[in-house]
Amino acid sequence: MALLEIDELTRRFGGIIAVDRVSMRVEAGEVRAVIGPNGAGKSTLFNLITGVVKASDGSVRFDGTMLSGMSPYSICQHGISRTFQITALFPEMTARENARLAAQARHVRRWQPYGGSTVFGDAARRGDAALERLGLTHVAHRPAGLLSHGDQRLLEVAMALAQQPRLLLLDEPTQGLSVEETAQAVDTLATLLADRAMTVLLVEHDMEVVFRLAHMITVLHRGAVIADGEPDAVRADAEVQRAYLGGLA
Amino acid sequence: MNFSRGLAAAACVLALAPAALPPYAMTLLTEALILGLFAMSLDLMVGYTRLLSFGHAAAYGLGAYTCGNLLLHTGMPLLFAVPLAALFSGIVAIGVAWVCTLASGVSFSMLTLAFAQLFYAVAFKWTTVTGASDGLAGIPRSPGPFGIAIFAGKAGFYYLVLACLLGSLLFCRMLVHSPFGEVLRGIRENEAKTLSLGYNTRRYKIAVVAIAFALGGLAGALYAPFAGFANTELLFWLFSGQVLIMVIVGGAGTLVGPIIGAAFFMLVSNLLSSWTDSWALFFGLIFIGFVLFAPQGIWGLLSGTGRAEGRERVRWRFLKSTS
Amino acid sequence: MDFAAFLVTQCLNALSQAALLFFLGVGLTLIFGIMRIVNFAHGAFFMLGAYVGYSSVAIAGNFWAALVLSPLLVGGFGIAFELGVLRLLYRRDHSAFLMVTFGLTLIMGEAIRLIWGVNALEVRAPPALSGIVFILDEPFPLYRLFLAAAGIVVAVAIWQFLERTRLGLLIRATSQNAEMVHALGTDVRLVRSAVFGIGCGLAGIGGVLAAPLVTASLAMAPTAVIDTFVIVIIGGMGSFLGSALGALLVAFVQVFGTYYFPDLALALMYLVMVMVLVIRPGGLLGKEA
Repeated sequence: MALLEIDELTRRFGGIIAVDRVSMRVEAGEVRAVIGPNGAGKSTLFNLITGVVKASDGSVRFDGTMLSGMSPYSICQHGISRTFQITALFPEMTARENARLAAQARHVRRWQPYGGSTVFGDAARRGDAALERLGLTHVAHRPAGLLSHGDQRLLEVAMALAQQPRLLLLDEPTQGLSVEETAQAVDTLATLLADRAMTVLLVEHDMEVVFRLAHMITVLHRGAVIADGEPDAVRADAEVQRAYLGGLA
Repeated sequence: MNFSRGLAAAACVLALAPAALPPYAMTLLTEALILGLFAMSLDLMVGYTRLLSFGHAAAYGLGAYTCGNLLLHTGMPLLFAVPLAALFSGIVAIGVAWVCTLASGVSFSMLTLAFAQLFYAVAFKWTTVTGASDGLAGIPRSPGPFGIAIFAGKAGFYYLVLACLLGSLLFCRMLVHSPFGEVLRGIRENEAKTLSLGYNTRRYKIAVVAIAFALGGLAGALYAPFAGFANTELLFWLFSGQVLIMVIVGGAGTLVGPIIGAAFFMLVSNLLSSWTDSWALFFGLIFIGFVLFAPQGIWGLLSGTGRAEGRERVRWRFLKSTS
Repeated sequence: MDFAAFLVTQCLNALSQAALLFFLGVGLTLIFGIMRIVNFAHGAFFMLGAYVGYSSVAIAGNFWAALVLSPLLVGGFGIAFELGVLRLLYRRDHSAFLMVTFGLTLIMGEAIRLIWGVNALEVRAPPALSGIVFILDEPFPLYRLFLAAAGIVVAVAIWQFLERTRLGLLIRATSQNAEMVHALGTDVRLVRSAVFGIGCGLAGIGGVLAAPLVTASLAMAPTAVIDTFVIVIIGGMGSFLGSALGALLVAFVQVFGTYYFPDLALALMYLVMVMVLVIRPGGLLGKEA
């Protein structure tokens, strides 16, 4: 059984169909990229999986659990963490506090109203470990809002990692980065994903990033899946060439 | 200055006040401390969770009427009636917050005002409980248990108020620095992100409103036996606005600031009222001035860190860079 | 009184009430739509409208003059406030606007008390409208009929203004994407000032029109602002049609509620609001929250 099973997932906004009967299987340990031109429904798909947007039709199953109809926080509690296309952080908190708050969300006593904010040593350690894995230790003490854009993007990934998710959703992690920053970020991500311990769903515009990181690719066009398979097969697919890659090649 | 040392010093000075001050000043000081407690309770919502409430008088009125009724009609000792009234206020708040948190942002603020006005209107109609426009009068400071009557006197009651204020301050400080408080901070800075990290933000908001109402209710519960009466003024929307002014002028998100703000409010309104009866006009101006030019409030200015301003700058730069 | 006559007169009553509420709600919602701010002082502008109306009638001796003068003055004051104070705040978050306009409410209330005194002031309806008409043999105040008609006329006028005129188009465009409008060469700041003025002016008209019914008094501001809040929350923040719908709903609930459940009338309005919020958190015609 696949870790994530999406069946006939559909979302309509008024007369527009943003996501059109999308079905997908993501196996454990797989890095799957979702690509497609602007407006293809990639972000809506993420929002549907994480419960930010309610589905008009279809279902999402995660490890056998039906996610449809759950609110974003309980979906996250099931082990799905995400980053946002537009950087979402706690700007006044330091990078370390950001990561710690993310790690703490999985703590059973996260409601505890006493004991100081660093009372959960394991959460703090997981946060720090995540910062270190993304090379952010040297900026850990700075307010997140004052980090460089590249570091902010990485901090979002670190926050998701600190939650030790079973499925990680990355929404354009290199969005808005310079060429050098992108190269650096991709190196970091590649190292991170090398051991195949994590299942990742990745939305990305940059084809080089996609072909470097992904084991499998799903191509969306106008809300619907037009291709699905290993990178080489997708690259060769004529319909994909026409809809998407053609413009870039 | 270190917080606990500063607090100990302030507590000592306040504890010695009855020996030095004339009765009239003691009355003002007691009221200022009650208002300080009230303002501090609102700070949990406004300063720490960015839940802007225009209806916090509801908490005060609930506490005052509940305490007043307990003291008038059940013969319950003061020491039991006050915490019971605070508890009741907190429980009612769960229902109010459940509705208000259906909306967020500005709609939340509008709903808080609407609910406070509903309580105000109910207080006007429900004569048997609230005495309608006459209010409740002659609320006693019933002694007990075991015949403890020390709190009936002027100085004794002052010490009761002081103990409640200091205890609440320590409680709030513990709360905002706890893992729970860290989540409130997350909600203040980015609610959607907090939700996506797996926190049930609505439940956290309901919890903080309930705590704020319980402490606000405690202030109201102290006010009823302090003044000896409770009337609909305590639920009026202007009072909700005044306490918000105390929080902002004193310094939101600092706990101590709002207490200073309440003292400032008492002081200035007493000074102003001796030469003009339209002090509300000046308060409006002072308030706008602070919101425009010193959003960190008196405490922020005094402590010199200007942290609130720094925060605002950080947030603004962040918003600009991401939109 | 037979039931048909009762029903018709009560409906007309509600319609006239809805007209007043609509003047308030539509202004608030227009301002919110463009500026993303809630004008807490909306009730105070409504009250100012009534008092200016009183003085205009006293000086010019003519209600119609008041109906023109009052919205102009109130709207002008609104624009001045937008230019002088609100403009400093566009980089800050929503709460700053709420607080500043709340401060303005306090100041306006006090200022009005100083200028006009604490007593409620009576404003007479113009002689042409102060009579009584018979509807199905039931007496009905002509002035209320006029109010209902005025509400419908103004609602249609605003709708046409938004649909047909250039400024209306700009307002709609700005409410959807202010940056784009700015990039296309229109000074969004001017649109904001204009809308704030129009919104306040509408509240001013409402104030003048309400004065003959309720007298001009200091209690107007809080009552008006809360009714307005309830209307826009029910209708949906920023939706023009929503504010009309919300005004109608609230007015009918108020009028019929007062008749059938006099003790619960006020709570009834809140009950309706809570029901709407539970079903559609963004309001009836608002964007999904």
